[in-house]
Amino acid sequence: MFDINTAIGHWPFRRLPRRTAGELRQYLQSYGVKGAAVASTPALFYMNCQDANLELAEEIALHRDFFVGVATLNPAYAAAVRDLDVCVEKLGFRALRLSPCYHNYNLADGTADALLTRAGELGISVLLPNEIVNFRQKHWMEPNQPLGMESVLAICARFPQVTFIGTEGGYNLSMTAPPNLCLEMSRYHSCYGQVLADMVRKLGAERILFGSGAPFKEIEPSLLKLHHCQISDAQKELIAGGNARRLLGI
Amino acid sequence: MWCQLPDELAAIDAHNHVRAGADGKLDVGRAEALLQGCSRLGIDRIAVSVPYTDSVVAPERYRVGNEVVWQAMQHSPRFIGFCFVDAHDPTAALAEIEHCIVERKMAGVKLYHQFFVDADEQRPVMEKASSLGVPVLMHAGKCTDPATMAAQPRLSNAGHFRAALEKYPETILIQGHIGGGGDWEWNLRTLEGIDSGNYYIDLSGSVIDAGIVRRSVDTVGCERLLFATDGSLEEGVGKLLAAGLSMREMRLICHDNFARIMARRKVCDV
Repeated sequence: MFDINTAIGHWPFRRLPRRTAGELRQYLQSYGVKGAAVASTPALFYMNCQDANLELAEEIALHRDFFVGVATLNPAYAAAVRDLDVCVEKLGFRALRLSPCYHNYNLADGTADALLTRAGELGISVLLPNEIVNFRQKHWMEPNQPLGMESVLAICARFPQVTFIGTEGGYNLSMTAPPNLCLEMSRYHSCYGQVLADMVRKLGAERILFGSGAPFKEIEPSLLKLHHCQISDAQKELIAGGNARRLLGI
Repeated sequence: MWCQLPDELAAIDAHNHVRAGADGKLDVGRAEALLQGCSRLGIDRIAVSVPYTDSVVAPERYRVGNEVVWQAMQHSPRFIGFCFVDAHDPTAALAEIEHCIVERKMAGVKLYHQFFVDADEQRPVMEKASSLGVPVLMHAGKCTDPATMAAQPRLSNAGHFRAALEKYPETILIQGHIGGGGDWEWNLRTLEGIDSGNYYIDLSGSVIDAGIVRRSVDTVGCERLLFATDGSLEEGVGKLLAAGLSMREMRLICHDNFARIMARRKVCDV
């Protein structure tokens, strides 16, 4: 089991449990998770995101056998492309996370183009969270609405050489499914209506990834969704970890 | 980790919904999907309603929805009916409550956001529910995003419920979905110290923030919590399992509290 959607660090608007690498690892391992992609929560708020990425690298230094670092960068800030190179080549991070809502730009306005081009050249996947916490409980300093899948689909079309991983929901089965779009599964039903199974049939099992959203969210719902999803065991194995390991190159 | 709630809990989902199909009658396919999904997760019975979100709902509209609930109750004994009314027309609302609760043995009244729960306009409905000994389950939340605030200007939060308990002290109130979106911490802070035997809050909603159920137990006590999903089945079961509760606490939340409410009914048994 590999969790594609975790984070470390303090969240300014609510006290989170398990803010450190050690605490998060222990929690995930208690549910049988063998590894996780982890991003920095403070990187959503630092002006200079790279400092948060450096902090993340320090935090997971003793847990490299478990955590894979995800760089969070603001493409509107200075040196973002160079920072991505450092994250991948020196810090060993294996994916990029963009959060246009928290960094105040639009995926369609070209701000992220250079960074996405570089991500494509480096062969790393790009995580696009639809939201970090449910927007209906937003602090007044947070974005007013989620990212929205329309902008994700549009950026998939503009950067076909990049694999995007949409996390925290937003997709529905009436939408197109560009071949470079993967989806993290924590927000899709699999008991009341087999939405998750239908997504597997539409996108293919190799494009759905297990994620929990820890430490923001409880992990149990995601585990239940995968357990009760009416697909083959081989497909479940891909979702549970095979796909993440393939995309992260581990 | 459990993959479902233990059968011995005989879990009751206190807040869920059925829908009408294109023909205006119960969407049997969706109802069956709900029953099957609940079976997978160990949920025995499901309290359902058909609420309307408009600011004013004509009686002839909500009668159609309540007819769908009645069809669900006939489709499966696992469905427990709640009747929706809008207090804008109190005469019609009271007649519908009488019809649904007394004649059709529905278990409670469902309100949405046509008025705040503590509004003067709710008095006839509250007093009718009290006279019948049935609960009033109300859509609720403390949403902070502009879109929801604009769309639901009369969305009741915990403060409104505390006021309603003072105003309608004989009525059993169920605050809907602590995890239905909105600032659940604000709601819990507002509920600190609550001691009314007529107050309950259900745990439903898609929000599965770490610690939400544990914090709810610690704030209002497991005697005032009702297991529910509001359609988010894995979320509802998962966050309950995550809370690390004792079997006694689980039994109260999943079954006994709801059963205790049902036992207060003053007319024919459900």
